[in-house]
Amino acid sequence: MKNILDRNQNKAEEVRSLLRRRNVMMVNIISSPGAGKTTLLERTCEALSARMGIGVIEGDVTTDRDAQRLKKYNIPIVAINTEGGCHLDSHSIYRALENFDLDSIRLLFVENVGNLICPSQFDLGEAFKLAVVSTAEGDDKPAKYPMLFSGARAVILNKTDILPYTNFSMDAFLSDMNVINPRIKIFMTSAVHGEGIREWLEWLGQQLEAYNAG
Amino acid sequence: MHELRIATDLAEIVERYASEAGWQVVEKVNLTFGQFIQVVPDLFEAAFREATRGTVAAGAEIDIEIIPAEMRCLGCGAPYIPAGDLHACKSCGSEEIDLIHGKELYIKSIEGG
Ligand SMILES: Nc1nc2c(ncn2[C@@H]2O[C@H](COP(=O)(O)OP(=O)(O)O)[C@@H](O)[C@H]2O)c(=O)[nH]1
Ligand SMILES: [Mg+2]
Ligand SMILES: [Zn+2]
Repeated sequence: MKNILDRNQNKAEEVRSLLRRRNVMMVNIISSPGAGKTTLLERTCEALSARMGIGVIEGDVTTDRDAQRLKKYNIPIVAINTEGGCHLDSHSIYRALENFDLDSIRLLFVENVGNLICPSQFDLGEAFKLAVVSTAEGDDKPAKYPMLFSGARAVILNKTDILPYTNFSMDAFLSDMNVINPRIKIFMTSAVHGEGIREWLEWLGQQLEAYNAG
Repeated sequence: MHELRIATDLAEIVERYASEAGWQVVEKVNLTFGQFIQVVPDLFEAAFREATRGTVAAGAEIDIEIIPAEMRCLGCGAPYIPAGDLHACKSCGSEEIDLIHGKELYIKSIEGG
C-alpha cells in the first residue's frame, strides 16, 4: 500500500522538522474565500506583532491586496502565486521559507487558498490547521467538509456580529462538529468588531508555549 | 479540484513503477480512498487520463474502493458514536477520539505486463 501523496507528505515532514529545530510554530489557515482569514490575521498581528516575531505566507493571492493589508504591521510576508491552483503544497512552502529569517520569527501563519476541500488534503508541515468559517456561509460546513474539520485543531466561527441576519443554526453547527471531531477547539469571533479575539489569542499563546516546550 | 493533483501524482508513481518493472502496458490500478478524501470518481478518472496521455498507463482501468469514515476511542478501542453534547467515549470516558478510517489515499496494487 503506497500513499499517493507521499511526495508532498515527505516534504511536509522535512518542513515540520526544520521549523521544529528553529522553534517556529506554523499555523495553516484554511477557509472559503471571504470567511475572514486576512481580517483575523490583522487582529492577531495588531495584538502580537510588537511582542513577538510573526511571519505570513500569503497563498490566497489573486492580487496583492491581502499582503498590502498586513504590511502595516511591519512583518515579513512572502506571497506564493499558485497560478490558479486550488491549494498550497509542501514544496512551495519549503521554497517560501528560504525568504524568511527564521531566527526572527516565532509564529508563522499560512493563509491558504480560499477553498475547503483541496487545502485540507495537503500537509504543509504545519504545527496545526486552523479552519475558519463564517456565519454567512451557513451551518452545514462541518457536514459537507469533514476532512478539514477532522484534521483541524481549532475552528473559528467568524462574523458572529451578523448572526441575527442569517438562518445559521448554532445547534446544528455544534452537533455536526461533535460528530466529525469531538476534540476540536471552537472560537466564535467577530474579526471586525473584536468579539472573541481575546479568547483566540489566549489559546494561541498556550499552543505556542506547548510547542516550545515539546 | 484536488482530483487533478492526486491523479497527477498517481500517474507519476504508476509510470515509474511500470518503467522499473519493464512493462509495456499498465492494465489496471487499484486504489483505496477514504470517504473524507471526497474524490469524485469521474473527475478523478478524467484527470488520470489527462495525466497519462501517451504513456504506458494511458489505457489503464481505475478501480476505486471507498472506505467509510470510522472513529474510535484511543483509550479503550470502542467505536465512537456521537451522542448529543457528549464529547467523550461512552465506554471509558476518554476524550481521546480519533478518525481511524476515512483519510486513506492508497495504491492497493498495479497490474500490467
Ligand atoms: N460583518 C463581518 N464582516 C467581516 C468579519 N470578518 C471579516 N469580514 C469582512 O469579510 C470580507 C472578507 O474578509 P477577508 O478577511 O478578506 O476574508 P479572507 O478571504 O478569508 O481573507 C471583508 O470585507 C471583511 O471586512 C466579521 O467578523 N464580521
Ligand atoms: Mg485573504
Ligand atoms: Zn473508551
